[in-house]
Amino acid sequence: MDSLLEEEDEEVPAVVGKRRKRRRRRSPSAQAALQPPLCLPFLPQLPVSSNEHKLNFTKSKEVCLRYIQDALLQKQWKRAAEFLTCYVEALEKDYSREHIGPSEMIWRIGTEILWHHSQSSMKEFSCFMEQMKTLGVKRYLKVCLEHVFHLLCNGQIDEAYQNLSLAESWRFGEQTAIQDKEMKLIQAYRGLLDYHNWSKQKNILLENGEDGFSDLAVEQEMHGYFRKAAVNLKEIIKIPGVWDVFVKCYVDLLEFYGDHNEAHQVLNEYAYNSKFPANPNAHVYLYQFLKRQGESKKSLISALKILHDIVPSHELMIDFNTMLQKSKKRKKRRLGLEVIFTALDYAGWKENAKAWSCLARQMKQIVISEKHLDWIKQEWNSRKDWWPAFHFSRYLAKRNWQENKNLSYEKALVAGILLGKDCKYFKYVSHQGCKAQLKRFRMLKKFVNRHNLVYLRISGPPDSSVQP
Amino acid sequence: MTTQPEPRKTRCAPGRTHRAVSLPSSSRVLIGARRQRGGDVIGGGRAIPTRYRELRPGRVLSPVPGTAAMEFPAALFPAYFSAGPPREEGGPAPVAGWGEHGQVLEGGPGRRQGKTAFVPRRGARGERWEAADAAAVPVLLPSAGCWFPSPAIQDIVYRSGAGRKLRVGRSGVTLDFARQLGHFFVDHPEDAFGSLGRLLHKNFYLGNSKLKRPARNSTIRMTALMEDIDRLEARRGCPRQHLASRLRWFSHLCRDWLFEVPLGLLADCLHEELMQQWSNLLFDDSFTGGALAWLPPEDGATPVGRLVHPGGQAMNHLYFQDVVLEELPRARGSPQQFELSGRIRQVAAARVDGQDFVGVRSDYHCGVWRVLGKTGAAPTPLQVIRTDMPASCLTVSPHLPGELSVCTQSGTIYLWSVETGLQQLRHDPQTMFFRDYSPWRWSDFTAHPRVLSCADRTGLQCLDARAPKRCHFDLFKVGEEAGCQQGERVVLPMYLGRAHPSQYLVTTQFSVYVLDERLPLVPVLKWAHMMEAPPLFAHLMPGKPGRSHKVLLGASRTQELLLMQYRGGSQSACQLAGTPQKLHNIAGCLQHLPTQLPHRHHLLQQRLTAPAAGLAAMLQEDGPHKSMLVFQLSETGDVFCQRLTHKAAQSPAPLSRDEATTAPGSSPLFEGPASSPQGLGSEEEEEEEQTFYLSNLEVIVDEEEGTPAPMEEAELLQEPCASPEPSSPAVPSPAAALRYRRWLRAFFRTCREPSRHTWTPSLSQRRLFTHRDLEGPAGPSSLHRQMRQRLRQTMQEGRRIQRWEPLALQPPPLPQTLEPAGGPDPLSTRLTAAWAGDWEQWWEERTSFNMAQRQRALRERRRRQKRAKGRRSLSASFTSSLTYQSELSELSDVGPQLLSPSRPPILSQEGSPPAGSPPVHSLPTSPAPDEALLSSQSLRCRGIPKERRKTLRDYLSVWAEGPPEPPEPLGSQASQLCIPSSQSQLSSASQPRRKRPRMGF
Repeated sequence: MDSLLEEEDEEVPAVVGKRRKRRRRRSPSAQAALQPPLCLPFLPQLPVSSNEHKLNFTKSKEVCLRYIQDALLQKQWKRAAEFLTCYVEALEKDYSREHIGPSEMIWRIGTEILWHHSQSSMKEFSCFMEQMKTLGVKRYLKVCLEHVFHLLCNGQIDEAYQNLSLAESWRFGEQTAIQDKEMKLIQAYRGLLDYHNWSKQKNILLENGEDGFSDLAVEQEMHGYFRKAAVNLKEIIKIPGVWDVFVKCYVDLLEFYGDHNEAHQVLNEYAYNSKFPANPNAHVYLYQFLKRQGESKKSLISALKILHDIVPSHELMIDFNTMLQKSKKRKKRRLGLEVIFTALDYAGWKENAKAWSCLARQMKQIVISEKHLDWIKQEWNSRKDWWPAFHFSRYLAKRNWQENKNLSYEKALVAGILLGKDCKYFKYVSHQGCKAQLKRFRMLKKFVNRHNLVYLRISGPPDSSVQP
Repeated sequence: MTTQPEPRKTRCAPGRTHRAVSLPSSSRVLIGARRQRGGDVIGGGRAIPTRYRELRPGRVLSPVPGTAAMEFPAALFPAYFSAGPPREEGGPAPVAGWGEHGQVLEGGPGRRQGKTAFVPRRGARGERWEAADAAAVPVLLPSAGCWFPSPAIQDIVYRSGAGRKLRVGRSGVTLDFARQLGHFFVDHPEDAFGSLGRLLHKNFYLGNSKLKRPARNSTIRMTALMEDIDRLEARRGCPRQHLASRLRWFSHLCRDWLFEVPLGLLADCLHEELMQQWSNLLFDDSFTGGALAWLPPEDGATPVGRLVHPGGQAMNHLYFQDVVLEELPRARGSPQQFELSGRIRQVAAARVDGQDFVGVRSDYHCGVWRVLGKTGAAPTPLQVIRTDMPASCLTVSPHLPGELSVCTQSGTIYLWSVETGLQQLRHDPQTMFFRDYSPWRWSDFTAHPRVLSCADRTGLQCLDARAPKRCHFDLFKVGEEAGCQQGERVVLPMYLGRAHPSQYLVTTQFSVYVLDERLPLVPVLKWAHMMEAPPLFAHLMPGKPGRSHKVLLGASRTQELLLMQYRGGSQSACQLAGTPQKLHNIAGCLQHLPTQLPHRHHLLQQRLTAPAAGLAAMLQEDGPHKSMLVFQLSETGDVFCQRLTHKAAQSPAPLSRDEATTAPGSSPLFEGPASSPQGLGSEEEEEEEQTFYLSNLEVIVDEEEGTPAPMEEAELLQEPCASPEPSSPAVPSPAAALRYRRWLRAFFRTCREPSRHTWTPSLSQRRLFTHRDLEGPAGPSSLHRQMRQRLRQTMQEGRRIQRWEPLALQPPPLPQTLEPAGGPDPLSTRLTAAWAGDWEQWWEERTSFNMAQRQRALRERRRRQKRAKGRRSLSASFTSSLTYQSELSELSDVGPQLLSPSRPPILSQEGSPPAGSPPVHSLPTSPAPDEALLSSQSLRCRGIPKERRKTLRDYLSVWAEGPPEPPEPLGSQASQLCIPSSQSQLSSASQPRRKRPRMGF
């Protein structure tokens, strides 16, 4: 190793201290500004005029680390492993106050190597992890957690559960904030596994229940799992964060035992507490819960309305639009049009035939009834300068026609209404459709020709007659 | 301040151009000929081995915008969320990205009934991509014209103070201020001391001798000062400062008035500039985004893409180069070229409706080009805007044709539409979330075509272009929300719309984040990338459904390239797939190049390690074969590329192959030429490889000597039958090695000029003369040899040398020519005669001899005058010659040093022995060479046709007006030219009087 290390020509000048001091004194103001504009992870090595080649311990440590890093980045696990065995020496003088000390490095690198090394086994991995846990007190929980994750990903749920229980009972003096968080996570994951056990028992019971035979012991056990899971899960979801998995499990538990109020409250809290991030899933869970509970349309709509405000491009906007379209209230139908227009603003919806058919249907209704043309006009106003290029270009007409006839039909209808019969998109699609002798495209052409005046009203200057 | 001092290295600003200069040398001529044959681009179609031709590139994966559904993952990975400034202490974390699953989530593909499966956030299996070759391969030949290396650390930093490794947060460097100031004084003396220098130059004495009394009162002897300075240099660090009292006295005296620019002001400016250079050296954000764009071919169309890259000496030329996608991408035809008025900082491209829009940013100008999807369609420039402040960002909308967003360093963000012009969205010189001094701003598009993201170092916001003041939300904040470290700053944001319409990539100097705009502030993916320099470039290659998206990160200073994969975003939560992988960088090919001479190696190293300036990549799919092409651009305009192939088998034991790639050359441990045959299939292959390398060396050597490389053709024939699949990328494939060789040849051709620093204008005569005309033996060395010989002989004989000049070329025994061989010298004869008493007779003889000599000289002159009028037959001129015999004998041996036909021999006016007098060679006293060239006789005798003589004369007269030429052996060379063609005429014309003593009398 040493002979290899000597190739590295990092040099430390020995006798520069005095001179540097002198120079520094000369330009103190310069030194302050010498920092790069950005706090860089690594600074370039300076070429050195001194001819000292000595390697000290720190240096060789650094060099070794660089080799390991290089091997890891090239997926040469075996080579990295060999270097790591040398690097272990770095533990001897671990006085560093670096952000990440040698013991953590060994843990991280070793884990990574054992993940990928072809000759590693789960047993070896566990053995390594056990050693790593003893290396640093501060990192114990984190290493435990990572160990559990690895066991979980490899399907060893029971071992993971044992490890979690063990880690949970670990105590070491005052806990730091980070350790506190890690402990909460450990408990939560244990709760999650308890939940899984619970649902397993539940399934057994349900299967057996069909036979009319109920096992009291199993039921007891199931309730035990419920209690354990509920306690832990309830804890973590109080803390601001993204807890989709835990919330879902907890709500499932509560629903099973009929505690709908608590479930509703949990979901409400998760969705509407401003300390939590604006997680669309929180709203989705609430909406689904309300739907399951058979809540009124009104509360469903209000839940979705909030989701619409946060994520106007959410997939549930289709449901929302259909719900609103069916509504008797004018205001809601108006909102429905806005919802679908807004959704179609997003690139992700561009080729969604369902969304286009929603819009086409509603617009057709409006055009036929000749009422509320001003709705379309208002929506169109903010879009008319870019929708034609975004949705209705000739290029897209060709491509949509080739890829999805349904989509091009719906889009052509919308284009025909919004831009008139001379619109490129409509012209191309209706022409192609007529050529292909598709009946509905002929109907489409007729419809648009009949209602061509609508286009003038929509795109014309705002006049009082159209204003609501 | 009119003159801005610059560090020494940059003083030849890239913008300063000078004509390709130089004196012809035979190798150049040959190279020129070869270049015409081979075309200007690497790989002119003939070098592709057949096996590569068979590999037909298939359908190119093209971005399909908008096909991704707008689904949101049903459950996200658990994460804590808290607001506020970052709490985690930052620091160098070299391995922070390894060995962590982060979190786990239920689900995943392996989910079976009854058993829950978990997927990790990091550490899931990814696709396996392997480099197809040992190193990156040049795509384009180095552009012609000299190249200016950018300042290096050692140019700026005070050397001896630079010992320790730099540490973050501590200032370990001292800028070498004094040296740079010194450079300024030396390089720009007019600007530094112009007027006072002129006024006072009489009072400065530069000689060595002591000053005399009267002058001493008003004159300073500078030589003494210089000596003091030198002594001071030699004794650097010596505490005995008083030794420099004279210097102190001088500087004390002059400091206030000597300098044209007040010294304090100058120093301030220099210091500012140095700091600027230093911080740019550490981190230069002007190249953010990268100046390389790849316009992929249309679906199913011909496999010809287009590379858009800057080039030229000042990087101010924009090139659109067609590239044929073969095993090694090959440039096709000559590029379309646009000259811009500033250095190109960024080239951004997006495809909308089948057309490519290419945005180009330089400091004060931004332009947009449109390229139609058809191959070979000419790019059309659409619009140019000028900004008052340097622009820091230009991105092209992937949604609407002809829309771009521009940011300037004043904090202004514009939406730029080719049709409607600029719309200012925001103007805020302050940063968004907390105060940061960097004026850098960035902006990109989002899933909504009217919503733009805008970024500074502290985070990202999205704002609606229709109501930018009212509608905006925070997408990313450097803070606890995203779990950032202290000191972490946004380096490059990028819209990942082609992977998922609502995804965003944000890189910082420590980590890379994937964001979903539907869940702002909380990154859906975070990973510490561990790169040594901040990733300034990124490139996304979207994967098809079920496959991972690939993101390439590139750093500038260290040229790092990192490939990471992630998947998810719509149906499943985002997770990092596979381990990150380091790709070859440009500098990595250095070890695979043939061994070079040290100075060339240094040059090459300097060139190849220049900071990277851009990054582009594409996925290529040909049935089961999937491969990835990665292009990297360096600041010097070199474009290198590498291919990665997809290994479909995801077997858990890929070790054998894996370790086979543990090539000695690919690790920093063994930084030698890759010589190990490890991994080569059979012995035959090995042998071929070796012959290849041998011939490789040969060609390079040949090239140096300027003779054509005969091996090349043989190799070309050999190449197709080379080993079909060198499974180990330890050594470059033959095709790659050929590329290297071509590139090297072109590179050394281009950098020959600047290395000589011939700044005086001179004209290339390559087209006027054939190389044979200009060929000649090396003059000066033979001259030196003669001199030395003569000196030695004179010393041996104990005599003195009276005149070096005219005699210089005469053979040493010339002074003796008068004497009969073996006779005593004149003095002893005279003394002998005097002793004998018949001194008078001796005198008579002597004078009559001199008479004869004079007569002969006169005759000689007359004859020469006659000859000047016209040619004569050889024999006629010898009628009266006394030296008839010797001259005939001379004709038979035309020595290497022959005579200038154009210069009439000058008769010696002194009383020196006549035979020695005519200088037979014009070299040492050669006047301006053009004179020699201009004489019609000389032109004629060189065999230059009549109709070209006039042109030549005009041409050379221009040259003659220029500044004095550095002494070049042109005259002598030219004078040698006609030897073979007009030998007889020449020798008669010059009438050599040279006699070999032993042959004469």
